[in-house]
Amino acid sequence: MRRLIVLILLIGLFPLIYLAFASTAPQAQKSETDAAFEKSIQPFFSDYCYECHNEKLKKGNLNLETFQSAASLLQDRDTWEKVLEKLHRGEMPPKEAPRPDQSEVEPVTRWIESEFDRADRLAGPDPGRVTARRLNRAEYNNTVRDLLGVSVRPADDFPQDDSGYGFDNIGDVLSLSPVLMEKYLAAAEKVARTALYGPELLKPTLVRLRTAARRDLPNSPLSDYDASGLSLPNSLHVTCRFPVDGEHLFKAVLNGHRPRGSEPARLAFWIDARQVQAIEVDLADFEGQTREFRTNINAGEHLVSFSFVRFYDGLPSTYGGPNPSSRPIPPPPDFSSFKPPENATQQQLEEYKKKQEALKTRSAQKEPVDARVNYVEIGGPFKQARGPSLDSLKKIYTCGHVDGVHQRGCDRKIVAGLAHRAFRRPVTSQEVERLTGLISMAQKRGDSFEEGICLALQAMLVSPHFLFRIENRGKATGLQEAHLISQHELAARLSYFLWSSMPDEELLRCADQQILRKPDILAAQVRRMLKDSKSHALIENFGGQWLELRRLEIVKPDPKRFPEFDEYLRQLMRRETEMFFEAIVREDRSILDFIDAKYTFLNDRLAQHYKIPAVTGAEFRKVDLNGTPRGGILTQASILTVSSYATRTSPVLRGRWILENILNAPPPPPPAAGVPALNEAAVGVSASMRQQLEQHRTNPACASCHARMDTLGFALENYNAIGAWRTEDGKFPVEASGSLPDGRSFRGLDDLKAILKHDRDAFAECLTQKLLTYSLGRGIERYDRRTVKTIASSLAANEYRFSSLVLEIANSVPFQMRRGDLPK
Amino acid sequence: MIVTRRHLPRRTFLKGLGTLIALPMLDSMVPAFGAATGSGKAPTRLAFVYVPNGVIMKDWTPEAAGKDFEFSRILKPLEPFRDDLSVLSGLAHRNANALGDGPGDHARAGACFLTGVHPKKTAGADITVGISADQIAARAVASETRLPSIELGCEDSRTVGNCDSGYSCAYTNSISWRGPASPMPPEVNPRAAFERLFGTTDFSLDPETRDRRAQYRRSILDMVRDDTQKLIGTLGATDRRKVDEYLYAIREIERRIESAEKDNREVTPPLEKPAGIPIAFTDYLKLMYDLQVVAFQADLTRVSTLMVGREGSVRVYPEIGVPDPHHPLTHHRGNPDWIEKVAMINGLHAELFAYFVGKLKSTADGDGTLLDHSMVVYGSAIADGNRHTHQDLPVILAGRGGDGFKPGRHIVYPQHTPMTNLYLTLLDRMGIRPETIGDSTGQLEHLTEL
Repeated sequence: MRRLIVLILLIGLFPLIYLAFASTAPQAQKSETDAAFEKSIQPFFSDYCYECHNEKLKKGNLNLETFQSAASLLQDRDTWEKVLEKLHRGEMPPKEAPRPDQSEVEPVTRWIESEFDRADRLAGPDPGRVTARRLNRAEYNNTVRDLLGVSVRPADDFPQDDSGYGFDNIGDVLSLSPVLMEKYLAAAEKVARTALYGPELLKPTLVRLRTAARRDLPNSPLSDYDASGLSLPNSLHVTCRFPVDGEHLFKAVLNGHRPRGSEPARLAFWIDARQVQAIEVDLADFEGQTREFRTNINAGEHLVSFSFVRFYDGLPSTYGGPNPSSRPIPPPPDFSSFKPPENATQQQLEEYKKKQEALKTRSAQKEPVDARVNYVEIGGPFKQARGPSLDSLKKIYTCGHVDGVHQRGCDRKIVAGLAHRAFRRPVTSQEVERLTGLISMAQKRGDSFEEGICLALQAMLVSPHFLFRIENRGKATGLQEAHLISQHELAARLSYFLWSSMPDEELLRCADQQILRKPDILAAQVRRMLKDSKSHALIENFGGQWLELRRLEIVKPDPKRFPEFDEYLRQLMRRETEMFFEAIVREDRSILDFIDAKYTFLNDRLAQHYKIPAVTGAEFRKVDLNGTPRGGILTQASILTVSSYATRTSPVLRGRWILENILNAPPPPPPAAGVPALNEAAVGVSASMRQQLEQHRTNPACASCHARMDTLGFALENYNAIGAWRTEDGKFPVEASGSLPDGRSFRGLDDLKAILKHDRDAFAECLTQKLLTYSLGRGIERYDRRTVKTIASSLAANEYRFSSLVLEIANSVPFQMRRGDLPK
Repeated sequence: MIVTRRHLPRRTFLKGLGTLIALPMLDSMVPAFGAATGSGKAPTRLAFVYVPNGVIMKDWTPEAAGKDFEFSRILKPLEPFRDDLSVLSGLAHRNANALGDGPGDHARAGACFLTGVHPKKTAGADITVGISADQIAARAVASETRLPSIELGCEDSRTVGNCDSGYSCAYTNSISWRGPASPMPPEVNPRAAFERLFGTTDFSLDPETRDRRAQYRRSILDMVRDDTQKLIGTLGATDRRKVDEYLYAIREIERRIESAEKDNREVTPPLEKPAGIPIAFTDYLKLMYDLQVVAFQADLTRVSTLMVGREGSVRVYPEIGVPDPHHPLTHHRGNPDWIEKVAMINGLHAELFAYFVGKLKSTADGDGTLLDHSMVVYGSAIADGNRHTHQDLPVILAGRGGDGFKPGRHIVYPQHTPMTNLYLTLLDRMGIRPETIGDSTGQLEHLTEL
């Protein structure tokens, strides 16, 4: 409640505060600021800017001469924000003109900023304007799942959502094309029918999948190898989307060999890196052999894998593998019984001898150990679940549904309940009437009550009240003054923020009872929501975009340079970072763990990639990182891979990644022309990457940004383009040290992490800003800066716990309030 | 990832995996297929194909102008169609330049290509560019076909972050704009594109149920349209813009239902429904071209756009020996190795475009071929990808547009001739005469004369 009071007080007092300043303070204030303006600010502009930006020339349509007082700057804030930006970036004055020294520029920019800051403090809170947000694809899928208990994911077929400010849930950017509307109509029908009558029965289809690039097996058996077989090149990993729940057939098509006399091979079948089944294959020649597995699988995307477990165990002892076969070694083939025909010519005899010799040499050689899963055919669905799920029925028929008999008035009750949840707010009786009208219409035409409900549901699912989150419908959304959003709007903001989905029963009930704003209730709800498994959406959607993890799906490291990168490793990389993020959310850990944490989540393959010993088994588990060069997201293979080129690391890209995603200081884009090239072929051969980039930076135009960017990136040079540890780049030793423009220097990533942890405010502000953008669905504006700073600086008091960040956001002015457009 | 999908009873797999089986185009389709307008003149079709990140101009521009030019290295695959296309040099997109907005040439190029308008620099709020040439055409001929236009693409836009230097991804994701703030995102999934063309009507239902459901759908549309109109009065300007988009889309669907009722031809799809996105890029792009040909052939639409890639595309082309991402390569800064790789990508794109032109040419349409009755623009709004130049753009115009154009030449226009002048001329061939498009100054000369 305290916060609320403060809020209301602030708004209520705003005119008073303003008046107070307007009447008493101004005299002294005015002279002081204007004196400063005249003394040190105006002369700067007169010296360096008026030459072009004057009354006559108005270069770039800008006349700076008109600004003759401190107050005049505040009146044209947009212009001056641009001026500040140009000064900060050193873009103005232009190169040709006389340029001020940095020591001259800084006091000027600092003074203007402090003036703006003071004005903002006086101006009262501006919660900003949030444009009606269309549900994006993830939100649509999750919302129909939670509304009706269906697992169909119709939005997977919708067109891409455009993104802005780094996220794809920005109201202003999400557009609605006729194509998308068509899909909404089709999806509404499909979703409603699935909920009422069960999933559409699909004809089974067969898909053949194989991995794009295949690697060869080592020539001789390995003694120390992955027992699960998942990381061996003879395994197979494919990601596949399953449209419905149901039983599917997985047919592994094999080829290659296993020496005669070996113990049977064991072929294992995995879904999402969990072993489902395994069978023995007692063969020497695998060519064209197939083995089938059947299992139920849930709708959605899954990683399907096949591998040979303990592949190098049980070979004949002559192979030198571990745990050799106890079977007798089969005798070499006996060729003596073969005789040439008696009437063979001399030539035929010669040929016969040759063949005989060849056979003998071949049998003396070891038989290859190269059995592999060549490709997989996936068929299904079979035994598809029929009829609606109990969950769906429960969510729809709130009025009893025994034998499909419905009492009078049930139509209203059902429709009102559904619309309340679908529109995420109380509905009017007219709205309910119009919807029940559809039921009567269907019944009049001879259709059933259910068919009528189906129709009403479809109407709800294509209604703008469902597809958009339009706030403050009760009043006008154009209302200009700042005002609190309704309890139901707050519930929806929270649920789409943390779950990418609609409010659940409990949240809706809090809104219905108008108690959601109570601080203890809001805090309890936020904590509950973060603990709920639905908050995985926050990791997937917010984390996927903030950390640029989504790009992991499209990166294609050069198979020649990185043959060990396969679909499996790609999935594991993503899983590690998601689990790490999830631990921070679920265990309510410090956000500083992102920068450095002595734990992560690995399985054997990823541990092997990291050269961390003693992790066996394909399942992920928490791993202690003490004594390893890993810790924090900067050392996770996912991040290291998305910030690299396909062929090599890029200190520039990695530096940009850190500036943008950790330090909240995105560098300006490079000039298009006149940038000297790196000699790609020479990297690692005749000059190290570092030497090349250093040479690059001798160009002063590049140095201003690259001095910082590249230096940060160099700290990560011990990790190659797919995140494996290295000490050499080609034939040059890696030098992961550097000094930042502010003079602090580091040797290795640990030093840099110490610097980043020291600058924790920058990181806290960065994460706050990103999370606030995502939670509001709009870009961060000038008036939000104070909110961001206040939230970030409050985190230390709560040990930087993730929940405290989310709570602060949930309690902030922009999250609790809104306003309409300001007049232009 | 998906290789092939067929119903179990007919599992006949083709060898040669890693590729989606080429979908057979049945050239001898139903006679009703083609010229829907009956005995009248075959309609004129308009298609735009966009390639991202510019091209290596020295390997693109033919040396000689006029009729007897030699096909350059990149254009070589198009040589068999010498008499069916012209190479246009000298055209420019002035509004793709910075004009004081700083970096962001890729975003501006994508947004400007068909609009000729300088997009407003914003990462989200107030996205503004102009209406695109294809959409001007689509609006004018909308009543003639089931679909006013189709928008296709070959690149999933899963990019994260701001797409280019403070410009929203909307600018690079779509070249087609229905209005200044309303992009028409391309369909990138061949299956979904197929369904858009041929519908998803469930023919297993009896006709009566189908009819009844169609009526229900209309009642629903009526109802939400009314509700929305009521809602709109309470909205502020920006919310209203969003809901207006919704209303427009509803009306568009109602219009489509009406025209589908008028045009009750049963269109049998001449190709099997694609399963998904083919693994190999060449198969993918060919399939998208096939779908465009089919859409024109069946007169389902007369206007199409295809984005081979989005501006700033980082697609890798290992199949032709280019494992490096496209966009960073184009900033070759004179490195001959990189220039070579970009030229190889440009060559591959041209080769696949030749496939499209060939398909159009081998498809009979009215008294000639589809190519005779089409106007296909292929090009980019960036010429030199290394320096982000927007003049002397790489442009090809294929087809005769009815019998208007006289192709077969390399026409060199004065530098900085607006690209939008070409669009004015193309629209004029379709009987559409907007006063201007973006920065246009008048019609383009020399296309109809020899």
